[in-house]
Amino acid sequence: MSAQQRRIRVLMGKPGLCGHDRGIALVVMALRDAGMEVIYSGRHNSPESLVEVALQEDVDVLGVSILSGGHLGLCERIARLLRERNVDDIVFLAGGFIPPEDIPQLKAMGVREVFRDDARLEDIVRFVEKAARERVAA
Amino acid sequence: MYLEQLKTAEEEWKERHREEISQAEAMGAACEDGTPLKVLYTPADAGADYYTRIGFPGEFPFTRGNDAAGYRKKLWTISHYAGFGSPSETNVLFRKMIDHGGVPPYMALDLPTQLGLDPDHPMARGEVGMTGTSIASLRDWETIFDGIKLEDTFVGTVINAPAAVILAMHVVLAEKQGADLTKIRGNLQNDILKEFTARGNFIFPVGPSLRLVTDTLEYCARHLPAYWPLNVCGGHFPEAGANRVHEVAFAFADAFTYIEDALGRGVDIDGFGKGIFFLMKTNHTDLFEEVAKFRAMRKIWSSRLRDRYGAKDAETMKCRILGHSGGSLMTRERPELNIARTTLACLAGVLGGIQLIGLRTMDEVFGIPTEKAELIAIGTQHVAAHETGLPDVVDPLGGSFYIEALTVEFEKKVLEEIERIERMGGMVKAIESGYVRRAIAQDAYQTQMALETGRKIKVGVNKYRIEENEPPRRPYQYKPEEEQRQIEAVRQLRRERDHAAVERALERIRATARRPAGTDANLMPPIIEAVRAYATVGEICGALREVFGEYAEPTTF
Repeated sequence: MSAQQRRIRVLMGKPGLCGHDRGIALVVMALRDAGMEVIYSGRHNSPESLVEVALQEDVDVLGVSILSGGHLGLCERIARLLRERNVDDIVFLAGGFIPPEDIPQLKAMGVREVFRDDARLEDIVRFVEKAARERVAA
Repeated sequence: MYLEQLKTAEEEWKERHREEISQAEAMGAACEDGTPLKVLYTPADAGADYYTRIGFPGEFPFTRGNDAAGYRKKLWTISHYAGFGSPSETNVLFRKMIDHGGVPPYMALDLPTQLGLDPDHPMARGEVGMTGTSIASLRDWETIFDGIKLEDTFVGTVINAPAAVILAMHVVLAEKQGADLTKIRGNLQNDILKEFTARGNFIFPVGPSLRLVTDTLEYCARHLPAYWPLNVCGGHFPEAGANRVHEVAFAFADAFTYIEDALGRGVDIDGFGKGIFFLMKTNHTDLFEEVAKFRAMRKIWSSRLRDRYGAKDAETMKCRILGHSGGSLMTRERPELNIARTTLACLAGVLGGIQLIGLRTMDEVFGIPTEKAELIAIGTQHVAAHETGLPDVVDPLGGSFYIEALTVEFEKKVLEEIERIERMGGMVKAIESGYVRRAIAQDAYQTQMALETGRKIKVGVNKYRIEENEPPRRPYQYKPEEEQRQIEAVRQLRRERDHAAVERALERIRATARRPAGTDANLMPPIIEAVRAYATVGEICGALREVFGEYAEPTTF
């Protein structure tokens, strides 16, 4: 199968102890409806296990959702692990209850885009499609 | 005869106003789940036999209310919400509230405690003390209640998966204080089934989790008769996206599961049924349907408790409802409008005759509420209670053709959903198969699409938007030094206590857990012994994890 034909592969995960999964469930369903292959990790994952799964499943995109307030620490650890494992070309996205003032810091760590709780599914799908295609092309 | 004539008359009326009515119908007004609403309701729709379906308040089937005189007997409780820091800060706050003649608010715990992890567990990093107090052992419970007599205080704790451990701490501390256990009052959330499907703070697989709940129900029924060991939660379902038919059906299906498990151990329904409360949402959306929801809940619950479970005491048959307005309906855009939303949410709860109302503050979407916003939320309820005359007459919407029709319809939908779950083999099976989680996710998806396409309107968000700057945020501050203090404290505890006694107690927990569930394998006594020996929450849950394993959630929607 050529790179063009491969379906976009996405790992959606919840790192840390936060239990809220309404938002991530919506994104999983929307990406799947858009024809992507989506793996959902379920809750209570360590950053290490998420990055491990991302590697094993050879995903284009890793999306995490955090509503507990622990997004800075958790995203920092995930971004570092992605770099350490040489897979920081995976499109790393974060969503959830994230104050706007934290967004520049998250982007500086390596989070490609942040989708807050008022994001439209349509916009998320469009962003993921574009970013994943660019990654394959690169 | 009369109703037949009425139906004919209604048809003729519709014919006379055909254009206006068909245009109105084309606008598609509907219940939350999509059931279309008529333009007008008449006695033909209400279709209710007053004596059997509606009856009088304070009497079976309680459709019109739990008390004969409604809010003239007792006004609804005006609730508010509070967060905490460390155990010693919590102690200061509790003592202050008791000194002022109040009751300590419900205690929020941090996520590591709720998931049975000690502060020094690697997964706890960055989360200790974040969403509430961190409780690692009996020592923290002793700190929180230092100088407070448990016999004189009602203690409510929002704890689920490790609820048995927290209950054990309360029992041991009460014994140390020389309290009379029959007088100990308090409340645990302890509704583990909704954690699997909506709230997400689960540890063990469904079966053993249910066993722990039943162990606490049985223990309280036999030893702590004044203690309320269970709040069944429906409100978490709509927050996770479910419609209100699912909210009620899943809450009841969870409650029936606990009751049937406890009855299976020979516990008398009239011995623990009065201590079951329902924590629901009272929302401004589809306001009349919300009122019908509360009325239908009372009828369904009382009928089931009497006819299926053999309740004889009318108090057991009453469905006690605590309603909070939904946080997910509050908006960051034009946040002052959240006051309007919660005012209408309060109205829905009052017209529904519920026992407690808690309103969100207008600024909760930005973090910790300001004191001003808290006072507005409480003041809103004072206006409803004292300026409007709302509490004067019981069930003021009873007899409205529309409300009665909605109540009948709502009851039917809930009973159908409960039957569907029972055909699957009950709630445990419905959770394990992923059915419940899927149903909620699909409801949420429909709502989201309705908002994105503008079929559903959210003022300030997808209509009547005004661009303005977001007000400053008041986030929960992560305090690394607080986390470090809790880690040091639990490490010091492990050095000081009688290690052999802890090991013996944990082994007894494992041995009891390996035996089949039942009265003679109730886990409360060994957990109480472990708590007494200062075993930590993480160690006790760890011993149970070794036997029970952990829950692996279905990850398809």
